[in-house]
Order: sequence, then structure tokens, then C-alpha cells
Amino acid sequence: MIERRDDELSRIYRDAEGPRPAQRVDDNILAASQRVAGARGRPAGIRFARRWGTPVALAATVLVTFTLALMVFERQSGLEATAPEARRTDRQAKVLPAEPRADQPGTPSPLVLRPIAPALPISQALQRDPVEQGPGGRTVSRGDLGTGQTSSVPEVPRAADVLRKREEAKPAPAAAAPAASGERAGATQQAPVPDAQRAFDVQPPIRPAQAPASAPAPGANTLRESASTLQGAGAVGALTSSVAVPDAKERTPEKWLADIRKLKTEGKAIEAERDLVEFKKRYPDYILPEDLR
Amino acid sequence: MMREASDEELMLRYGKGDAAAFEALYRRHRLPLYRFLLRQVGNKDTAEELFQDLWMRVVNSRGRYEVRAKFTSWVYAIAHNRLMDFYRANGRASFLSHEESESVLEDLPAVEIAADLRLDRKRAVERLLAALGELPDAQREAFLLQQESELSVEEIAAATGVGPETAKSRLRYAVAKLRASLGKKS
Repeated sequence: MIERRDDELSRIYRDAEGPRPAQRVDDNILAASQRVAGARGRPAGIRFARRWGTPVALAATVLVTFTLALMVFERQSGLEATAPEARRTDRQAKVLPAEPRADQPGTPSPLVLRPIAPALPISQALQRDPVEQGPGGRTVSRGDLGTGQTSSVPEVPRAADVLRKREEAKPAPAAAAPAASGERAGATQQAPVPDAQRAFDVQPPIRPAQAPASAPAPGANTLRESASTLQGAGAVGALTSSVAVPDAKERTPEKWLADIRKLKTEGKAIEAERDLVEFKKRYPDYILPEDLR
Repeated sequence: MMREASDEELMLRYGKGDAAAFEALYRRHRLPLYRFLLRQVGNKDTAEELFQDLWMRVVNSRGRYEVRAKFTSWVYAIAHNRLMDFYRANGRASFLSHEESESVLEDLPAVEIAADLRLDRKRAVERLLAALGELPDAQREAFLLQQESELSVEEIAAATGVGPETAKSRLRYAVAKLRASLGKKS
């Protein structure tokens, strides 16, 4: 059904002045339409980024954090795997020193030397090598020296400290020396000596490698001090190989005194006297037998 | 020469984010829709409010728009619904209950426009617009829809939610009354 328009009426109606909406209404409508179309008509990439940006960023953060944590964990595990022996030795080093002390109070504790050096009962050490009596009347086993010397290298700074302490403490032991001199048993009853001090005392009396065992070189003490200084400077390893090993065969005080007596009996009084002076220098606290005083 | 895009194409393009398509659509239907609303409510401010609201509904419907009918039918249906809301809010319920019958329509006298008004176009426009304002809302709406949107009677019926016969009778009533206001009885 089609209703024909009234053309005459239509013409009159179209002659009417056409009202228009205000400009602001046009602007509002067009602005709104563009705003909405702009939000909807963004490129796919931008829409994708807006939609997935936050989740992807969160996922990336979690991934990076997890990876870093894993790396740190693996690194720590790697360290554990590469240095288990060192750690174990370290742990033993912390535990072992207490044992000999419990058995034999006053026995020098070899400190860090103990874990690496073969464990040697102190009695054996004493039997194998005579006891050297230090200025403070402390007993020192030289059995530990030859084998343990190399292991003392990491503790060199501590030895240097000990040297300093010893230098400071030098006058004091001189007074206390007579009470303890020459008596092994008495020496073991001395008050506990700090580990560092013991570590220094462990240092062997150093003599020139070529020096004859029977006749101690006059410069032996000087050499020993030099060795101590070098040891403090970290040169112990070098010395151990060349000096410390022959030194292990050094004469004992008793042997030395026997040699002096022998010289006297042979009529070499001057040499015997010189040797005795040297002995006194070397062992100032040693109580000499009646015949040699 | 490029073919001018249809209203439906423009609306679909706008639905995909083409703001220019909406602007073309707006320019095309802006004045007829505004005149339709203004002559229905008789107040510029109210007409602008309804007009803006109508277009915002178009904007907000962009994603749901489907080509089921002419864009013009769709947009004038929106305008009609908006008018109904306005009438309800302002107590103009007579619009809703006003129904014409074919029998009444047949009784209307045929009117010829006066010869002097055919010469004096300005005065004829004034009298036409005055008579248009006095028409019942439904009849005026039918006449305006026919004049502004160029919809057929069926499309007017669809846009206003009435049967085709009702739309036709409203239209004939409106025309008869307008002609009567402009001339002499034939």
C-alpha cells in the first residue's frame, strides 16, 4: 500500500525556513562519536598491548625473578659442590683443636696445622723429636713442624701478629723462665697459651741448610729470626722446603752439651767455650749442668 | 565517479571505528531529524536535548547495529521512542490513545489550497506550520515522518509501532486538516 504524498503541501512545507540545531549540539555529538570511535578504532597492536600489557609484564617479572633466584641457587650449589673438601676441612679445623687439649692440657695446639697435617699423637711427636723449650718455658713439638709447615701458609697474617705479640711479651717470660726451664712435665703445666702464640712457637729453629749438624753456625739465631720475618711476610713455603727440613735434624740441647763436653775433654777449651756461649745464647733459660757452669 | 555510501554502509563502517562515516551520516540526517523533533515538541531547547540524546543512542548502538531495515526507519524509530518517553514524562497521554478509523477518515472533506496562498508562499508556510502545531501528536508525527524522512506508509507504521492502516489514516487526517487550514473547501 503506497500513500501518495501531497506534493502541494510538501512544496509549501519545504519552503519553510529550516531550523538548525545549535553548533554546540553538533560539536558535542561529533566529539562523542569520535571519542568512542577512537577508543574502538585503535590499531590492533595498541589494543593488544592494552589488553595483554599488564599480564605480560607481570609474567615477565615473575619469570625474571624466578630465573634470578634459580641462578643464585645454582651458583650456591656449585660452590658447595666445588669446595666441599675445603669446607669439611674447615669444619674439622674448628673441631679438632679441642681434642688434644682435653687429653693433654698444656700441649701446644697446632691450630690450623692440625687438620691438614697428619694427625700425630703428641707423645709420639715428643719421642721422635726432642722438645724445644721456648723463652716462656713452653714446650714445642718439632714433629709437627716439618709436615705442618706448609699448611701454616694461610695463617701467615696471624703468625705476624703473634710475632708482634711475642716481641712485646719478651721481657716477661725471662722472669718466669727459671721456674719452668728444662722440665718437660713442668712445661706442660703451664697456663694455656693463646693459639696465636702457639702458632708462632711452632715455628722451627731455622738454621742454614748447609750448616753442619754438629757445629751450630754462629748466625743461626739471626737466620731463624729472618725466617720468622719471612714467614710473617708469607715466604714460609719457600723456607720450609730448604731450611725447615734440615733443621729437623738439629742437635738437641743435650746433644749439644755432650758435644761441648767432648770438646772440653779433647782439650779444645776455646772452641768449647765458644760453643757454650752459643748454647747460652740459643737456650738462655736452660739450666746448665754443674760441670759446664 | 564513486558511488555515495548508503546510510547502512556508513553505520556499519562507524561500528568498525570509522568516525568519518558517522560524520557523513550525521550531516546527511541532521536537519530532517532536528526539524522532526522540533516540530513535534515545539520547543528549541527540548528539541536539542532530544536530538542530542537521539544521536548518542545511535553512537552507543554502533556495535549492535544490523541491517534489518533502512537506517532511516531505524533512526526515526529511535526518535519516536524518545518522543514517547518525552510525552509520558509531560502528561501528553492523548498521543498514545489516539486512534483513527477508516470510517472517520472517509468523512473528511476534500480541501483545495486557496489561490492567494499559492501566490503568497510565505503566508502559506506560516499557516501550514500553525496548522501543523494544532494537529494531534500522532497525526503530526505521521505527516512529519513522511515529509522529513521520506518513509513510506509501511515504514512509518513500522517506525511508530502501529499497523499500516493506522499509519495511513493518521497521515490522511493530517493532510486533510492541513489543506483545510490553507484553503477553501473543494
